Amino acid sequence: MPTKNLLNYSYYPGCSLHASAKEYDESTKGVFRALRIGLKEVPDWFCCGATPAHNVDELLSLSLCAKNLSLADNVEGDLAVACAACFSRLKTTQHKLAENDIKRKQVEIAIDGAISLEKPVKHLLEILAKDYGLDRLADAVKKPLTGLKVATYYGCLLTRPPEVPELDCVEAPTIMENVIAATGAEPVAWSHRLECCGANFTLSRPGVVLNLSNEILASAKRAGADCIMVACPLCHGNLDIRQREIEEANGTRYDMPVFYMTQLLGLAVGVPAGKLGLESMIVNPLPLLREKQLL
Amino acid sequence: MKNSKMHLSTETMNLGFVRKVEALSGSSVRRCFQCGKCSAGCPMRTFMEHPPNRIVRLLQLGQYERVLAGRSIWYCASCETCSTRCPNKVDLAAIMDALRKLSWDADGPSKESLVQLANRLFIENIKTYGRQYEMRLAAAFNLRSGKLLKDFMLGPKLLTKGKLKMFHQKNRNISEIERIFSRIEEMRKKGEAP
Repeated sequence: MPTKNLLNYSYYPGCSLHASAKEYDESTKGVFRALRIGLKEVPDWFCCGATPAHNVDELLSLSLCAKNLSLADNVEGDLAVACAACFSRLKTTQHKLAENDIKRKQVEIAIDGAISLEKPVKHLLEILAKDYGLDRLADAVKKPLTGLKVATYYGCLLTRPPEVPELDCVEAPTIMENVIAATGAEPVAWSHRLECCGANFTLSRPGVVLNLSNEILASAKRAGADCIMVACPLCHGNLDIRQREIEEANGTRYDMPVFYMTQLLGLAVGVPAGKLGLESMIVNPLPLLREKQLL
Repeated sequence: MKNSKMHLSTETMNLGFVRKVEALSGSSVRRCFQCGKCSAGCPMRTFMEHPPNRIVRLLQLGQYERVLAGRSIWYCASCETCSTRCPNKVDLAAIMDALRKLSWDADGPSKESLVQLANRLFIENIKTYGRQYEMRLAAAFNLRSGKLLKDFMLGPKLLTKGKLKMFHQKNRNISEIERIFSRIEEMRKKGEAP
């Protein structure tokens, strides 16, 4: 038996973490195991509805999330969420149903059950920075990421709108910088950390993504970053999977590895590199990691 | 249409529509005083024929056909920057959701069909499988949009990286999702839900 966990959470991975973002799932589990934080996946969770559901059908979106929240009640511990979009939808649902009795009654009928809004929903960042704590995180570092310049990319839904995620200051957050600085890496100051990457237009209107994500990559490059760190599968898909296409469309070259935050944290706290899904990244991070002697 | 002259009278202004949007979104439309912060911060404004502040102004003037006919509402990324920065607490992101729902329920008077198709397929996937299967979603989108070769070069790369799942299981409790969909439909038939 492993040693006793310091903290325990229920876990909602979301659809992407079982497919295009499997390295986020894998590295999250690796880091949490290394830090002795327990994660127990909510059985039979459903899609949260993401942006398409709330775009055209708010009641459906709220009902799907309320159903997931009630499923999460069957597992002990606050609900840990990795994907920024799932996090935003679940928190929005708690927020809206708590303040609107009419919507609450409609959702109650839709899911045919009681609505429970009590369980705290937490993004991984919050768990690491606040529950586990930055000091403890710094103490857990076995291989400092010294000399690695990281552009921390928040995107939209980790901070906005301020009354929903309640994660950090909405226009000038520092939580990502604080977490990565705890590993000895150097967060760079840059202009586009809160700008939209084009999100789910990647399916319907990829031209939007080629345009917006290009600005983000260019800004990170200008700031002298070696890599970008994200905490959202959609941001990752746009910046990493579409990076070559973005380069071609804009006649430029970035070669900018885009890491999930748990991949970088994993390297720092001693998770074996083979268990971080580095090989799944489209922009190969190995030359950078070798150059910085992190492998 | 966007620059055509507007004649305002009780006949040409539909203020009932504004009240509908306000009820659906839970946000005031009338509180906006046109400072333009929403459009200044909007990452999608260059793709829209009506920037966000003009959409609110058109709504205030009861010109909802102009709003629904265009692409603008479908080019909103739901990034929530507008709602975050509005000094009058107009929740523009929620208003956009309400406008899309009204357009959607009226069976899409908008020209923007691709975003609507993506939304429709996404929701169909949830209804059928309980979860999202990206490969199935992308394949269905290409098939239904006629863009058969979209991301053709990306597919094999993603497969070798293990990012596309060829097979998947249905959720064991998929019937619960089906029931949620049918209960919502029932409520709507009875006029008990929007």
